Amino acid sequence: MKGKVISLILAAMMTTALVGGCGTKTDGVTAEEGGNTNEIEKGEVQSETKPAAGSDEAAGNETAEDETLTVWCWDPTFNIYAMQEAEKLYQQEHPNFKLDIQENVYTDIETKLITAAEAGDYSTLPDIFLMQDYSFQKMVTNYPDLFTDLTASGIDFTNFSSGKLADSTVDGKNYGVPFDNGATIMAIRSDIVEEAGFTAEDFKDITWSKLIELGKTVKEKTGLPMLTSSGGAELILQMLQSTGATLVSDGEVYLSGNEALVEAIEVYKELVDTGVMVEYTDWDQYIASMNNGSAAGVVQGCWIMSSIQAAEDQSGKWAIVNMPALDGIEGATNYANCGGSSWAISSNCKNPELAYDFINATFGGSVELYDTLLPNAGVITSYLPAAESSVYQEASEFYGGQKVYADIVDFAGKVPKLDCGAYYSDIRSAITDAATNAVQNDADIVTEIQNAQETVEFNIGG
Amino acid sequence: MNKNRKMSTEKRHRLVGWAFLAPAAILIFVFCFFPMFQAILLSLQSGSGDAAKWTGLSNYIRIWKDKTFWQCLFNTFFYFLVQVPIMLILALVLAQILNNPKIKGKGIFRTMIFLPCATSLVSYSMIFKSLFANDGAVNHLLMNLGLTPVNWFSDSWAARVVIVIALVWRWTGYNMVFYLAGLQNIDYSVYEASYIDGANAFQRFFKITIPLLKPTILLTAIMSTSGTLQLFDESVNLTAGGPGKSTMTLAHYIYNISFVETPKFHYAAALSVFILVMVAILSAIQMKVGDKRE
Repeated sequence: MKGKVISLILAAMMTTALVGGCGTKTDGVTAEEGGNTNEIEKGEVQSETKPAAGSDEAAGNETAEDETLTVWCWDPTFNIYAMQEAEKLYQQEHPNFKLDIQENVYTDIETKLITAAEAGDYSTLPDIFLMQDYSFQKMVTNYPDLFTDLTASGIDFTNFSSGKLADSTVDGKNYGVPFDNGATIMAIRSDIVEEAGFTAEDFKDITWSKLIELGKTVKEKTGLPMLTSSGGAELILQMLQSTGATLVSDGEVYLSGNEALVEAIEVYKELVDTGVMVEYTDWDQYIASMNNGSAAGVVQGCWIMSSIQAAEDQSGKWAIVNMPALDGIEGATNYANCGGSSWAISSNCKNPELAYDFINATFGGSVELYDTLLPNAGVITSYLPAAESSVYQEASEFYGGQKVYADIVDFAGKVPKLDCGAYYSDIRSAITDAATNAVQNDADIVTEIQNAQETVEFNIGG
Repeated sequence: MNKNRKMSTEKRHRLVGWAFLAPAAILIFVFCFFPMFQAILLSLQSGSGDAAKWTGLSNYIRIWKDKTFWQCLFNTFFYFLVQVPIMLILALVLAQILNNPKIKGKGIFRTMIFLPCATSLVSYSMIFKSLFANDGAVNHLLMNLGLTPVNWFSDSWAARVVIVIALVWRWTGYNMVFYLAGLQNIDYSVYEASYIDGANAFQRFFKITIPLLKPTILLTAIMSTSGTLQLFDESVNLTAGGPGKSTMTLAHYIYNISFVETPKFHYAAALSVFILVMVAILSAIQMKVGDKRE
């Protein structure tokens, strides 16, 4: 009997929790979307539930023109913070303007976009969303109906670094406004290389063979590897980009016979085999290897700096130089790009004019915004005029007085274009396999590249 | 008259029965069978979104040419052939031990062994990832034992072994519970009779326990088969399919085709149908082999 009573109570509790849970969720959604819903729906919401704080505000907005935009992005300390600052800035001129920023993990954003596009129902999309640059081409090529063409939106795209802009440009049309900057840097522990008798200057504008030579000495004198790496294709793709390689064009795959790719995998293998570079498959260990001084440097997108700076005790011991260039490859430079994201306006945007104007006044043209974002969130921009501002010209104490931010925007301006078409992810996956086999199993590099070529061709021809 | 009335009562009872069944049946049909049917239709088309065209069996022909698919099929079957027997035997042994009425603190042991099942798939993957990291607990243990540490996630076979260990840890307790329930259904008098006949522990286990547990063993084997062939979380979270694609499972590959690489939903649907057929065939074989009732 007692057991029955208890189970009855439990069941009742679960049911109420379930029903109550759903109820609150619906409330939350209506309150969130309050700004977007039309009057009839609002009336219903208010008659059903006592007006909550959210619907009060929504009711206040009814009189004026609806000036709310929904945004999807993912990092509260980085891109969400940036959107909030942009909102504040735009509100100075447009007091009725409001953003509804919804936090979505990036993979969720991509899954939601693909689902909406496959279903042909775009009504679930926000007005503005942030896309990782590596997926931009793929999404625009496969699902052009998700995006709004921004070429004629009034945003001046010539103010952005061209290597970065290329990621969100398809067939000459602009679909994205660059948010951050992913210029590749080589961050170096100047104190460690000094122990080996070098200065950080010695690592500037060098080639990979020179780096391996210097790295061997560093390893000999200090016992530490020159570089730490999170493994695989990321570094190889950066090397390829630094030569401005074309990997896919008009449905043709150019991996096999690509000298830059052979050289990149060979360099990668040599780095690992000589112990000049140490690999960590786990991201946390990789970050830790920088913070606890178990490597003298790292080659990575400049966003890695926020992780480097987490080790406050190493202030003044780091320096930033450009990445090494590949030897003997035509068009090889010391500049590449890794990661980063761009804002896109969805095809579901109810008020595109407002969205254009908002983006144009903030991410597309406000040095003031970028000046706030740099010191507070570490957002380094690809917006070239920002490099002129005093904030970007300030010397950074952490990097021993170097004007790192101006340097990085300068790097970004020199990044050549890597052409992967819509197939970045497929290529990356195939190159990872090739590099893994070459390094782990001593497989023949040319054969492995041939396999990668076939895999990508197979994926494209589907 | 009397007979007629009885019929109608029976009929009514039947109708009531169907009425109770209907909600669940309709829900299963709408949310399970209908999407499955749609997936089969999807697998016969090609192209993206509205531009899809009927292409017959082209997606299925593509499967045979797909090297990545064969790699993933090999990985999945490796997990299936190595992990399922280890796990089921271990579960059976543990159940047998914990079924012993003389053992103290049975409840605690049972809970401890079942507890992994209550852990989220993602969080346990994360924990295994840190345990098997280069400077993780497992390598520290190996070094303290005087053995060489292993670079678990950089070597194909080592990474596969980690996945097998993780799976065994996660699912042994789950299967053990089925065996415990099965063991409790075996009448103790059967064992008593065997004592009188002078059977030793091994004979009791192989001649009484195993035959009487057969239906349960069959159930767990079929569940593990279908579970292993659909393995996803461990491959994604623990190894990310790496190094290369040497630990990637079929389900992980299907996800990648749909959401990571250039989306090919129709091909992904064809692969899903392929897994369905494979699970059905394997289960049929197991039922044929395991169930000797006429």
